[in-house]
Amino acid sequence: MSSTNTIAQAIRLVRRELRGGLRGFGVFLTCLFLGVFAISAIGSFTESAKAGLLADASALLGGDLEIRLAHRELPTEGISFLTEQGQLSHVATMRTMVVDIDNDKRVLAELKAIDSSYPLYGKITSTPQLNIHNELDSRDEFGALVEAPMLSRLDTKIGNKVKVGNAQFRIKGVITTEPDRTVRAFNLGPRFMISLEGLEATGLIQPGSLIYHAYRLRLPNRETVDQLKAEMQARFPEAGWRVRSWREAAPRVTFFLDRMNLNMTLIGLCSLLVGGLGVSGAVRGYLDGKITHIATMKCLGAPGKLIFTAYLLQILFLGLLGSTAGLAAGATLPYVLKQLIGTHLPVPITPGIHWQVLVVAALFGLLIALIFSLKSLGLARLVSPSVLFRGYSESSNRNPGTVVKVSIIISAMILAALAILTSSDQRLAFWFISGASLCFVIFRFASTTVVKLTHLIPKPTNPSLRLGLGNIHRRGSPAGSALFSLGLGLTALVTVMLVQANLDDKINETVPNEAPSFFFLDLQSNQVESFEETVRKLPGLTKFERYPTLRGRITAIAGKPVTMAKVAKEVRWAVRGDRFLSYAKEKAPDIKVVAGEWWPSDYAGEPLVSITADLAEGFGVGIGDTLTINVLGRDVTARISSLREVDWSTLDLNFALLFSPGVLENAPQTNIASIHVPAEHEETAFAEITKQFPNVSAISTRELLKNVSQTLERIGTAFRSMAGLAVLIGFLVLAGAVSADQHRRIHDAVIFKVCGATRFDILGAFAAEFLFLGLIAGGISAIVGSLAAMGILKGLMKISFTLHPGTIITTILTGVALTVFLGLVGTWRALGHKPASYLRGE
Amino acid sequence: MSEPLVNIVDLHLSLVGGAGEVNILRGVNLSITKGETVSVLGPSGAGKTTLLMALSGLEKPTSGQVQVAGVDLTTIGEDGLARFRREHVGIVFQSFHLIPTMTALENVSLPLEFSGCRNPEEQAEEALTKAGLSDRIDHFPGELSGGEQQRVALARAFVVKPALLLADEPTGNLDRETGQIVMNLLFDLQQEHGTTLVLVTHDEILASRCERSVRMIDGCLREENGAGS
Repeated sequence: MSSTNTIAQAIRLVRRELRGGLRGFGVFLTCLFLGVFAISAIGSFTESAKAGLLADASALLGGDLEIRLAHRELPTEGISFLTEQGQLSHVATMRTMVVDIDNDKRVLAELKAIDSSYPLYGKITSTPQLNIHNELDSRDEFGALVEAPMLSRLDTKIGNKVKVGNAQFRIKGVITTEPDRTVRAFNLGPRFMISLEGLEATGLIQPGSLIYHAYRLRLPNRETVDQLKAEMQARFPEAGWRVRSWREAAPRVTFFLDRMNLNMTLIGLCSLLVGGLGVSGAVRGYLDGKITHIATMKCLGAPGKLIFTAYLLQILFLGLLGSTAGLAAGATLPYVLKQLIGTHLPVPITPGIHWQVLVVAALFGLLIALIFSLKSLGLARLVSPSVLFRGYSESSNRNPGTVVKVSIIISAMILAALAILTSSDQRLAFWFISGASLCFVIFRFASTTVVKLTHLIPKPTNPSLRLGLGNIHRRGSPAGSALFSLGLGLTALVTVMLVQANLDDKINETVPNEAPSFFFLDLQSNQVESFEETVRKLPGLTKFERYPTLRGRITAIAGKPVTMAKVAKEVRWAVRGDRFLSYAKEKAPDIKVVAGEWWPSDYAGEPLVSITADLAEGFGVGIGDTLTINVLGRDVTARISSLREVDWSTLDLNFALLFSPGVLENAPQTNIASIHVPAEHEETAFAEITKQFPNVSAISTRELLKNVSQTLERIGTAFRSMAGLAVLIGFLVLAGAVSADQHRRIHDAVIFKVCGATRFDILGAFAAEFLFLGLIAGGISAIVGSLAAMGILKGLMKISFTLHPGTIITTILTGVALTVFLGLVGTWRALGHKPASYLRGE
Repeated sequence: MSEPLVNIVDLHLSLVGGAGEVNILRGVNLSITKGETVSVLGPSGAGKTTLLMALSGLEKPTSGQVQVAGVDLTTIGEDGLARFRREHVGIVFQSFHLIPTMTALENVSLPLEFSGCRNPEEQAEEALTKAGLSDRIDHFPGELSGGEQQRVALARAFVVKPALLLADEPTGNLDRETGQIVMNLLFDLQQEHGTTLVLVTHDEILASRCERSVRMIDGCLREENGAGS
């Protein structure tokens, strides 16, 4: 029979098979639907959010182009150049303390000072609706707009007066929309918006103050922005400005979105893999039911190839059906979200159909359908016509043949390659795929071994327990695949829960024991002495640290410009923008030098720098190499003289780059300090210092970590939902396995009743079977999930791992309870079957 | 005359199907003494199998009384009937009804396990040996011939030493020679245990091996020697 003939005949057979509808394919379709939906929904949401960010890019950036400087304003020459290009707006931001004049309450705020051109794009709105520029800069007093939380934290209201530095401001309204306020993971305080003149009046602009100036430009044609950027680069090569165009409006948000997308897609892929077991079970169940049908066709002369092709086409058709439904739902999600909760989303979204995302998700679905069906299809090809002459089919032959095995391996490799190549972090995707494959192998091995081991357990005397245990290792028992699917789902959940619990631990354990109570920013050099005096008088003070600090950007590594240097991913943060720098004469007791030597306290030679060991490793430099840092527009090249090991998790004051004396002393700078006081004295310390040094910003570590914790909690919820999906699919697979096994269970239940079993005996047997299954799956998941969480925490996140037995036990017990419940719901029909009608039908 | 083990009085049984109500048994009366062997003859659809179902408590009569070993089956519930079967009845079907995923030994052990027997597998192995299947105990039904499967079913029915054995055309799916072997085994075991046997069959020769024959026609029972109703 030629290939064309085979396909034509196969299509005819498929058409006849599908006349019976989709009966028996519920789990198959649902597993593919959910898996493909998860992947396409995450991808579509990310792309829509990125499109939304791009659509609002100019508004988010505040202009078509932004020049950002730390500490200093743009020189006149630069301003003149920019004014020639388009409309210019100047905005300054900093963190500062805001004090309510009536009740003396203080709060850390994110101050933003604007000029009369602000905003170049979008609209700022407030309650009450105001002409903002008139209100902020009226003739007799300065005004301020604030974010709502500031009113509650200061216990004040619109119309009241507050003080910032040396100036007073009347609160005129509450900001409802601020077009250039992008999503930020950590906001240290609510917005406090004033005019640039108002900021001038506060007296906070001091040399070295941590203040950022942003100059935004609205161009007649924003597409010319890249040309302008190049021109600026050529005209002001040494300026040290950070220039961003609307195309890079929210790089951190985009990075965060990509990261979330990657991680959640991988967990989604895990769900799809678990779903693959449902696909496998459904196809096996369907083809097992077709054995006599296949045997009859073979008796009538149908070759195995035709049988294989016909059922393969049918599976691919159904795979396409399930995947298409998943794609449709996934692609629609951004539209639905925008419609329902568009205004509450943390990022603007522009829903759209993103074909690349959908094609990849569809390929994932189809490949999973193929990989998990091929074995059953191969076995169907080998069905012997002799089945027709025996009452029962021989199910001992489970070898589908070499061609099928090779096809499965190739398809799996294509799936892995697709997952890795389409990922934004191919290394992580590779490790994930390797980990998931390892989990698969472990579970395959563990479930087979455990099923075999149950055979060796002494048989209980209780008939229900005995039967339940026996059901697990009986021939054709779905226990293996149920254990496999349920176990993989539970493993994903245990892993995510443990990672989350450990991160929570990390935050909680850091706060009370090791972390400073407060950080103080913008302490001026002339205030140092009186500040130290005040601090030393604070009740309960256990530790105090202070460093002079200024901002600088690494521009060359070992003589190579940063853009050309090889920088490891883990330390790329260090070259992304300005970093805090400091210098020290003496080696503080906490400093741990691991290579090279600390300079003598009277050192006066060439500039030296001590950097952290991880930075040196990531930069590929060592003792004797040089680093060039641009400090306030001036390049400083220093030789690396020592490497330090720093434990950042203590939150003590540490710097990635510490200079030798004689390099930075004359640059404009401020000081940063930290204090450790017991919780009961924190309030006093805060009040004392902020009252005496109104220009100093106080950051409470407790508040900061609460913020971090909330953010982690939100991210954790997203991950838990994805892992939950994996478990849901795992249960679905279990339900599918139970349902595919329904016919056998009804037959067994009837024979049990004939042999004298009561309904309670049968119920007990089924319950015992599912209890054993749940406990075994849970036990293996606890071990594998804990190992996976340990790998992620210690290997990827480089933080310690603690086993949380409570979390594991709760997760597992919930899994076991649901397994027993679902199993019994699935077998209820078998229990209620009347033996007489069944035997009569047989 | 000894006490009857089975006593059926005016048994009626109707089933509701797609075509409406069908009266299958229409006032059957039958009394069987302990240890007696009775064959039930009759054409297909006459109600022979239904009578066996009623005798085993697998089918609930519409009216009348079915008493086996002093137990009125019409007054007890489903689980009570299961316990009754466990203690008093063994059943052999035409299509064997073994559990395909259990070995011969496990199939025979089943009724012993339900009755709470301490060493079910030892007794099951003994029963299989008696049935001539000592070399087949770990085989699955799919690996056994039809005759062997029916011998496993016989071992399963006799292993709890039931007072009453109900056999529904036990040789119907077997060739004559194999059928002969199975029937010899059935009667040997019946003799050995003194079991009361009710054998449903189309085969007159087979029926003649029983002490007594009754004929079922259109839901009514007639003694072959003229007695019954």
